[in-house]
Amino acid sequence: MKTMKPLLRTLFIPTMLFLGACACCEETVVAPPPPPPPVIVLPGLGDVFYDFDRSELRADAVDQLKTNANWIQANATHNVIIEGHCDERGTSEYNLALGERRANSAKDYIVNLGVAPARLKTVSFGEEKPFADGHNEEAWAQNRRAHFVAE
Amino acid sequence: MVQLFNRVVPGIIVVLFCLVVFPLKLAAAENGEYIAIRKEGSGNIALVLDKLDANGKKESKFAQSLDTIMHDGLDFTKIFSLISPPLNVKDFTDKKNVVINFGALTSVGAEVYAGGTLTRKSGMINLDMKVYDASGSKLLLSKTYTGREEGLRSIGHAFCADLIELLTGKKSVFGSKIVFISNKTGFKEIYECDFDGYGVAQLTNLKSIAMNPALSPDGKHLAYIGFASGRPTLYIRNLVDGKIASVSKSGVSIDPGWRNNTEVAATLSPEGNQEIFLVNTDGSLSKRVTNNKSIDISPTFSPDGTKMAFVSSRNGLPQIFVQDMQSGLVKRLTFSGRYNTQPAWSPLGDKIAYTTWEKNGEINIFVVNADGSGLKQLTQNSRENKSPSFSPDGEMIVYTSNRQGREKVYVMSSKGGNERLLLQGDDVQTQPSWSLFR
Repeated sequence: MKTMKPLLRTLFIPTMLFLGACACCEETVVAPPPPPPPVIVLPGLGDVFYDFDRSELRADAVDQLKTNANWIQANATHNVIIEGHCDERGTSEYNLALGERRANSAKDYIVNLGVAPARLKTVSFGEEKPFADGHNEEAWAQNRRAHFVAE
Repeated sequence: MVQLFNRVVPGIIVVLFCLVVFPLKLAAAENGEYIAIRKEGSGNIALVLDKLDANGKKESKFAQSLDTIMHDGLDFTKIFSLISPPLNVKDFTDKKNVVINFGALTSVGAEVYAGGTLTRKSGMINLDMKVYDASGSKLLLSKTYTGREEGLRSIGHAFCADLIELLTGKKSVFGSKIVFISNKTGFKEIYECDFDGYGVAQLTNLKSIAMNPALSPDGKHLAYIGFASGRPTLYIRNLVDGKIASVSKSGVSIDPGWRNNTEVAATLSPEGNQEIFLVNTDGSLSKRVTNNKSIDISPTFSPDGTKMAFVSSRNGLPQIFVQDMQSGLVKRLTFSGRYNTQPAWSPLGDKIAYTTWEKNGEINIFVVNADGSGLKQLTQNSRENKSPSFSPDGEMIVYTSNRQGREKVYVMSSKGGNERLLLQGDDVQTQPSWSLFR
């Protein structure tokens, strides 16, 4: 027995060191996955559109806003930003004001449906970020919108 | 005692100020006939700006540069009809005593003659200028301007400024700045340039969207709207120490306009509804000015700060209104045109410029007296003309136009006419604002 002890020791120590080194390596190899991108647009949230120089909701906006409200209620981990946009006509200062009123009219409707106001942020981009590039009514109609973005 | 003190001390200060700052004013008063010419609106002043005399190769080169600087500077103002000097304007027969031939000047229709000599001493330029009444051969101004060789523009413009003040009794635009937005870098950043478009320099590097730059009357602060935080926010940059204050309240920020050196007004919506507030230069709110459910934007103040013109949709489509800051009483200013925005109050106090979006799609600049009378259209048949802003002397308006394709900065007379492109380039230029200082 006594003669075996040094042999055991010589085998035991390198084995443990080897295992320890492997464990270290494994830890660096299995890094945590990168965090998910912070902003995701999920199906269900859709934009609503406005008439020229108006911020009141159109009749065709109601269904989409109900869908959006249901989505927000069902996805409690996401807050939502409502962006107000305008077409390029008129002057940019007035459009910045109009954009905020469009975002607010959409927000107010969703809050009335029971969504907590704290989960909704509004921002106006006025005419600064058009979706469609054209200079005709087809493009303008697309650019007069409240755009919903999930955080 | 206190009352007496209050009355006497400002009086003394004003007198001292006048004696120190306006020795030229006294000279101008003696030559009242020249001021009268302008007041009667009898057209431009017929001026012969003679070539500068200089001895030496370098001196001649500087003199030529200064000839161009002074000619272009005076031409920019459109106050003068610049007449080429007649060949025999100077009689050199007695080289020690060069005589000006006033007969030759009057025969070409000159009312005023300006000429001078350039000398150089240890890197400094001395410009001796003399101005004569051409018909009476009377000396109106004799003054030496000194500066570094690399500062020729300021030397020449100092003379131009004196000449205009002498002949019109009013301060000129020389020394004033224009701030504006350009997309040159791919982002909307703020730039500045001299009154004549010279020396364009980038002031912000937000890599985002900047809007509506406005310099405080003393030029120490720059207010603007920036989207760097993700939403439109009012920023106030101290141009002396570089510190930037912002309005931290939630909601939108729109179109700042200075009331004085310490208060800037802008539209904010901290409680949801958009109202015009007075904001201190540290970004703190001083006072709410409007109280109306509709859109209220684009404040611009009378020179004494007692009245504010602004845009409101309280009657439906946007119109210009004027509010008394003391009583809060509001009067509608514009009645023609369905969409009137972007008011700018003249630094002279009498007029307000604004834009009308017309039924045919054009946007045009109009001016109206502050009491609503005397409406006049300044632009027409030139697509979209936006963002008028008066020069500090009230004689010109800077604005943008897309008449040649992209939106660019233009200037014109505040009475209409003399419309011209100020800045070249392929960029889109918007929202110019002229400083009050000069």
